[in-house]
Amino acid sequence: MVGIAGLLAQLIIDTSFSWIRMLVALFLSIIASIAIGILAARSRFAGRIIIPVLDVFQTLPILAFFPFVIYIVVATLPGYIGINAAVIFLIVTSMIWNIAFGVYESITTLPAEFIEAARIYGMSRLARLRKIFIPACMPRVAEQSVLSWAIGLFYLVTSEIFSTGNANYAVKYGIGVEITKLAFSGNLLYYLIGILVFIGFVVATRFLLFVPFEHYSTRYTEGKKKARRWTISLQLAKQASHEKTYHVHAAKLHMFTQHAYRERPAKRVQPTSKKRMSRFYAYMYAAVALIIIIALLVYNYRFLVGYESETAVALAVSFVRVWGAFAAILIVAVPVSVYLVFMAKRTSRYILLFQVIASIPATILLPIIALSLSGYPGHGEITAFLIFFLSGLWYVIFGIISNSKTISASILDVKKVFGVKGTLAWRKLYIGAIMPGLITGAVTAIAGEWNASIVAEYFTTTGISGSNVVSSVGIGIGKLLDLSLANGNIVLLITALINLTAMILIINTFVWKRLYRKVERTSV
Amino acid sequence: MRILDVIDVGFNYGETLQVIDTASFYCNTREFVSIIGPSGCGKSTLLRIIAGLVEPAHGKILFTGKRVTRPTEGISFVFQDFALMPWLTNLENVKLGLAMKRMPEKEKEKISLELLESFGLSDFEDAYPNMLSGGMKQRVGIARAIASKPKLLLMDEPFSALDELTAEALRKEVVDLLKSKKSPIDSVVMVTHNVEEAVELSDRVVVLSDKPSMVKDIVKIELKRPRDRESKQFMEISDKIYAYLKE
Repeated sequence: MVGIAGLLAQLIIDTSFSWIRMLVALFLSIIASIAIGILAARSRFAGRIIIPVLDVFQTLPILAFFPFVIYIVVATLPGYIGINAAVIFLIVTSMIWNIAFGVYESITTLPAEFIEAARIYGMSRLARLRKIFIPACMPRVAEQSVLSWAIGLFYLVTSEIFSTGNANYAVKYGIGVEITKLAFSGNLLYYLIGILVFIGFVVATRFLLFVPFEHYSTRYTEGKKKARRWTISLQLAKQASHEKTYHVHAAKLHMFTQHAYRERPAKRVQPTSKKRMSRFYAYMYAAVALIIIIALLVYNYRFLVGYESETAVALAVSFVRVWGAFAAILIVAVPVSVYLVFMAKRTSRYILLFQVIASIPATILLPIIALSLSGYPGHGEITAFLIFFLSGLWYVIFGIISNSKTISASILDVKKVFGVKGTLAWRKLYIGAIMPGLITGAVTAIAGEWNASIVAEYFTTTGISGSNVVSSVGIGIGKLLDLSLANGNIVLLITALINLTAMILIINTFVWKRLYRKVERTSV
Repeated sequence: MRILDVIDVGFNYGETLQVIDTASFYCNTREFVSIIGPSGCGKSTLLRIIAGLVEPAHGKILFTGKRVTRPTEGISFVFQDFALMPWLTNLENVKLGLAMKRMPEKEKEKISLELLESFGLSDFEDAYPNMLSGGMKQRVGIARAIASKPKLLLMDEPFSALDELTAEALRKEVVDLLKSKKSPIDSVVMVTHNVEEAVELSDRVVVLSDKPSMVKDIVKIELKRPRDRESKQFMEISDKIYAYLKE
C-alpha cells in the first residue's frame, strides 16, 4: 500500500508540474491573444496581416517544430530552464490561435453604438480597452480557453514524452515523463493509475477552473453563436468536444413546438467587397510565402540536393502513413458520427463519454502501445499507425457533431415523409449534411496526426533509461526531425520543416479550402 | 369519399404543457381544408401528427380508413422552410419525393423533369436550391411533394416564408394545379395563420382556439372560384374567422 501511496504522491507532484506549465502557457496565451485579437479587429492594417497569419498557423502541425525550438532555446538558455521555456512556448503556440480568433470575432461583432458611445463620453484609449473591449471579448476568451486547454494537453504530453529522448533536454518532472517511466517499469496497474490521475486532473480543471471562469465571464450575456467562416468553422470543429448542446437533437425535441420551426439558421451573408479584399490579401500573403518557400527549395536543390531528396522521400512515406490512418479514421468516424447525429436517442450521454476519452491525448498511450507491440514484426509501423489514428479520430467525429447544429432538423422529416431509406439516405441525405463538418474535422485531424509524428514515428527514451529506441519506423519525416535534432544537424532539420510546411499549406489551399468553398456554395 | 379522419387528437409538450386539448375534423376527396389558429396553438404539430411524424398523446388519425402511426405512402408534405437538401440539385431534390416508388431511375427522372417544367423551372434542374429565389424553392418543394401523386397533400404554412407578391402568384398556381381536372392530388390539408389565404383557397376552414387548443368552428366556404378578395361575401367570411381568432 505504501507503494501505491508513494506512487500517487509522485504522480500528483508530476502532474502538478505539468499543470504549472499549462497554466503559465494559458496565461501568456490569453494576454497575447487579447492584444493580437483587439489589434487585428481595431486596426485595418494590422488585421490584414494578422488574420491570414493566424489562419495559416492554426492549421500547421506546430509540434513538428518542437525539435527546432529545442535546438534554439536549449542552446540559448541553460538546460532545465531552457527545455521548460521550450515546452511552454510550444504550448502557447498551440493555444493562442483559437483565443485570438475568439477575441477578434467578439470585437468585430461589437455593435458600432458601443464605440460611438465611448467617443461621445470622451473615453480614453485605456478606458475603452478596460471598459469595452476586454469585457466584450471575455466570454469568447473563456469559451476558447477550454478548447485551447484540450489542445495544449496534447502538446504538453507529446513534448514531455519527446523530451525523454535525450538527457540534455529532458523535462525531468511531468506526467508525460512519469507515464513513460511507469510504462517501462512493466507495471500495467501503475500505468493505468497514472492515466487515471491525469484524467482526474483534467476533470478537476474543467470544474474548478473553467466552469467558474465561464460563469464569471458570461455573467452578463446570453450565449450567442456567430456566423461561420472557414477559420471560424475550424474553431467550431476543435471546439466540438466542449459544446454543451447539440442542436439537431435539441431541434428533434423542439420539433413538437411550432416555435422551433420558426428558428432557422441565419442565412449566410454574401461576401462583401471588404471580405473579398481580405481574401485578396490572404492570397497575396500565400503567394509571398510560396515564393520564399520555392526560393529556399531552389537554394536547397543547388546546395543541398542530398538533404532535399532525403527529406522528400521521408515526407512522401509519412504522407502515405498519415493519409492511410486518415482513411481508417473516415471508415470509423463517418458511420459513428452519422449514427450520433441522426439516429442516436441519447446522444448527450455518448458525448459525455467521448469528451472524457477525447481529453486523453493519444500520445499518452504511446509508451504502452509501443512497449506491448515491441518485438512483433512491423511493430514500429503499427505503433505509428495506431497513434496517428487515435490522434485524428476525435477531431473528425467532433467536427461533424459540432457542425450538426447547422443541419436542419427537417432532413429527418423529409427522410420519413418521402420514405428515403438505405443507401439512398446515405448518398442523398447524410453525407451531404455532414460534409462541412467532415472537412473542418479532417483538416484538424490531419494536423493532429502530423503533430504526433515526432513521437509516433520515432520513440526513444534515452533521457530516462539509457540508450533505448523503443519504436521506430523505417523512414518518415517525424523520425527525420528527431534524428536531425539528436545529431545536431540544423540544416537538415530546417529543410525537413520547410518541406512539411510547404506540403501542408499547399494541401490546405488547393484541397481543403476549395472543397470547403464548394460545399459552402451549395449550402443554404 | 372520406380521405382523412382526425379523431379526438390531443398533444402535450413534455409532461405538463398541454398544447392540443382535442381536435376532430375530416377531409373528403377533392376537398381543400385549412387549419387556422393563433400562433403557438399547435396547428403545425397537428399537421405533423396527421403526417405520422409526431405521435399524439391521444386520439387517432385515419387515412382512407386505415390508422396512421408513421409516414405513409399516399400522404405527402410541403414544408414551411422548403426543406430542400442544399447539396442536391433541384432535379435530385424532386426525385427524393419518389424514393418510395419502385420504378426505374429513368422514369423517376422523367416525372421529375416534367414537374419542374410545369412549374416553369426547366432551366434550373441542374442548379442547386441555393441559387433560387424563395418562390422558386417552394415550387421545387411542392414538385417534390406531388411527384408521387399522393392522395393527401399536407402543407405547413407553405407561403409564409415568401413575400406577399410571390406568395400570391404561387397560391394561384397551386389552386390552378390542384383544382384542375387532371390534378394528381385528391385532397389538401393546409396550415396557415393568414385568414385571407385560408378563405381564398379552402372549401372548409378549421378554426382552432389558443392552447390548449380545441376546434372552435369549422367554416364552410362555397364561394365560386377564382375568389375575389374584395367581394362582400369574402369579407364577411374573413371577418367571421377574425372574430373567432380575437376571442
